[in-house]
Amino acid sequence: MSAKFASIAAVLLALTASTALAQTKDTLTIDLPNDAATLDPHLQWNTDSYTIYRNIFDNLLTRDAKGEIVPQIAKSWKYLDDKTIEFQIRDDVTFQDGSKLTAEDVAFSINRIIDPKLKSPQLSQFDQIDKAEATSPTVVKMTTKSAYPALLAQLVKLSIVPKVYVEKVGDQEFNLKPLGSGPYKMTNWQKGVQTELEAYSSYWRTKPPFQHVVFRTVPDVSTRIADLKTGKADLIREVPPDQAESIKSDANSQVLSVPTERIGYLFINAQAGATKDVRVRQAIAYAIDRQGLVDALLEGYGKPVEVLGAEPVFGYTDKVKGYDYDLDKAKELVKEAGAEGATVEFLTSPAYSRATVEAIQQMVNEAGLNVTISSSDQATFLKRRQGDPANAGGLAFGAWSCACQDTDGVIFPLFRTGSIWAKYSNPKFDEAVDKARVILDQNERLKLYEQAYEVLRDDVPGIGLYQAYALYGANKKLHWTPTANEAMFVTDMSWQQ
Amino acid sequence: MLRYAVERLIQAIIAIFGVLTIVFVVMHLSGDPTLLLVPQDASAEMIAALRHQLGFDRPIWVQYLDYLQGLAHFDFGVSVVQRVPAIDIVLSRVPYTVMLAAGALVVAIGLGIPAGILMATKRGGWLERLLTAIVVTGQSVPTFLSGIVLIFVFGVTLRWLPTSGSGDFASLIMPSIALGAISMSTFARMTRISIIDELGKDYVRAGRARGLSLGAVVVRHVLRNASIPVITIAALEIGNLLAGAVIIETVFAWPGIGQLAIQSIQSRDFLVVQVIVLLISFVYVLTSVLADFVYALVDPRIRLVR
Repeated sequence: MSAKFASIAAVLLALTASTALAQTKDTLTIDLPNDAATLDPHLQWNTDSYTIYRNIFDNLLTRDAKGEIVPQIAKSWKYLDDKTIEFQIRDDVTFQDGSKLTAEDVAFSINRIIDPKLKSPQLSQFDQIDKAEATSPTVVKMTTKSAYPALLAQLVKLSIVPKVYVEKVGDQEFNLKPLGSGPYKMTNWQKGVQTELEAYSSYWRTKPPFQHVVFRTVPDVSTRIADLKTGKADLIREVPPDQAESIKSDANSQVLSVPTERIGYLFINAQAGATKDVRVRQAIAYAIDRQGLVDALLEGYGKPVEVLGAEPVFGYTDKVKGYDYDLDKAKELVKEAGAEGATVEFLTSPAYSRATVEAIQQMVNEAGLNVTISSSDQATFLKRRQGDPANAGGLAFGAWSCACQDTDGVIFPLFRTGSIWAKYSNPKFDEAVDKARVILDQNERLKLYEQAYEVLRDDVPGIGLYQAYALYGANKKLHWTPTANEAMFVTDMSWQQ
Repeated sequence: MLRYAVERLIQAIIAIFGVLTIVFVVMHLSGDPTLLLVPQDASAEMIAALRHQLGFDRPIWVQYLDYLQGLAHFDFGVSVVQRVPAIDIVLSRVPYTVMLAAGALVVAIGLGIPAGILMATKRGGWLERLLTAIVVTGQSVPTFLSGIVLIFVFGVTLRWLPTSGSGDFASLIMPSIALGAISMSTFARMTRISIIDELGKDYVRAGRARGLSLGAVVVRHVLRNASIPVITIAALEIGNLLAGAVIIETVFAWPGIGQLAIQSIQSRDFLVVQVIVLLISFVYVLTSVLADFVYALVDPRIRLVR
């Protein structure tokens, strides 16, 4: 009898021990393709950098799981007039050195990023802001140069930095030893190797789920997958669709995927070459089998779209239809335009999927055009693509996300007359997107974007191909729901046996 | 001797200066990092403003003079991408590169030279055929493939070695083998050829005639004479190993100079690239000078004078 009790006790003990073990997963390891360029959140804005530093800093505003803009450091806000907005700042937030976060820090953060002396690459995202001032320890008043409805969406990207600390140590030191009010503080940054974070125990919002987080730099995708399978990494970013099966076949790993606001699109030059003729552009749109692209190249991790937009983006409409795949019509239009056999240059760089580019090339060739692919490195590609229309090629593939979930960040930079990406100009389109940019009434804005999408459908300076899905590889014990804006907040994750 | 050293030094400075200038001009003519730094929705004015702030709108010769002026004060500039002094970024990677090159050299010499000796002395046998097969494989399998195969076999399937990383000795083993394999083949081939060359000479026959075994002749006499071309190769290979590990470093997430060089070129991080170029050309020059001295050490007939 006592032996039986002993064995039951032993089993119970083992059980509690194992659950205790499960609850205290100490270190979460995440493999990223690149190291952070800077950990000063006001300098570089690229995925690998902000994936790390947004766990160190809090933002003025943030987005909830549904993509709505919600308070974070700002408790609430109200417009005093079209150009003036007042934010109420939380008074229960401390930086990781224990000092209190006040309205002064918020005003400092805004004024710092718009100061040309910082030479911040992010300046253009905040250049509509005129200035910010703290009117009390918990109130910040911000003025914009004109009425600017996308302001809140942009402020989601603004990290709050500690004024006293930054001024004391200087910009260069702050970049190497960042200090924020976020859930994790940086303990060690081995450049090119890994960034180690430790939970900030007095974090105001929640208890950080892991005591330590390590972001490793692993450039090769096969190596990231090997790390995941052997348990060296718990979560890996940037898994190409054709590798998803290999992760699924592993007993301890899972694929996490989510539809994002990123849109695969095809740029068509409306101002030079054979594609200057709208019939040729329409023919190209008819020649592309979007569902085919999704099935064959994305293995289903994507969804064909009718317009250059996606559901999680404000301003998206399902009322405007695109061009259904119709090769006969495409051939007819090419013939009508007298463009049979015309050469169309397809610009690309190694940053874009070669398979996708070649598939599109083949589809367009079938319509009777002659597409040639010109591949160069990213810097040269951008120089041509954003430069003079005559030298910008006829076609280019891209995957656009403004991480702002607002159409203003999508079709305005892509097609507005004078924008670096636009090889197209139509006053009707410009009027709609200009107006949508400066009015605050959301219903009115929706209508304007619908009009803009109609103009784009008729003129075809580019077409939306598909809504891309983000793919992550994760340990099966990791619980996490990735979001449409491709953010990676450790506080949204947990570990379960 | 002193005159020789001074001459070599002047040659070296001219060579390094030339390389730096060429790289500077080519990099700047192919665009600047501004377009890669700005967010995608930046306007043309914003891009122009940032370009101006970063100083890339100045004429190239002004930028060049500015750069040289900094160099004269040992100021290598600040990376526009990372906002950290370029020299610090590069120096933090040097230990990893040296470690990996040393590991690869141990593999290359430790396996390559004995294999070359065996191939030269056991000609026509099964051992030579086997070794030839291994050498050809080492030479011809591309490193991105051998790296992934090693990871799959020893990392994922057998779980003997870590799949990536740079923290401990175990993680050095696979990249050293993958990187060392190609050099190993070079060493094996060079050793084989120069030993066969020597074996046909009179002193070998004389040694055999005195009753020495082939092994004794090879160890006591041939190796020393056959080592000159091998040393030349070694000097070049050290340069290659330090500079050419780009793919291996990427596959194994090894944070060396090669990986940094590629990333810096892609992101047009000029000043970091310049420091790397400076470092690599310095290493090449240094190893070739060292090789000259080692020749003299090994073979007293070679004098460092003209």
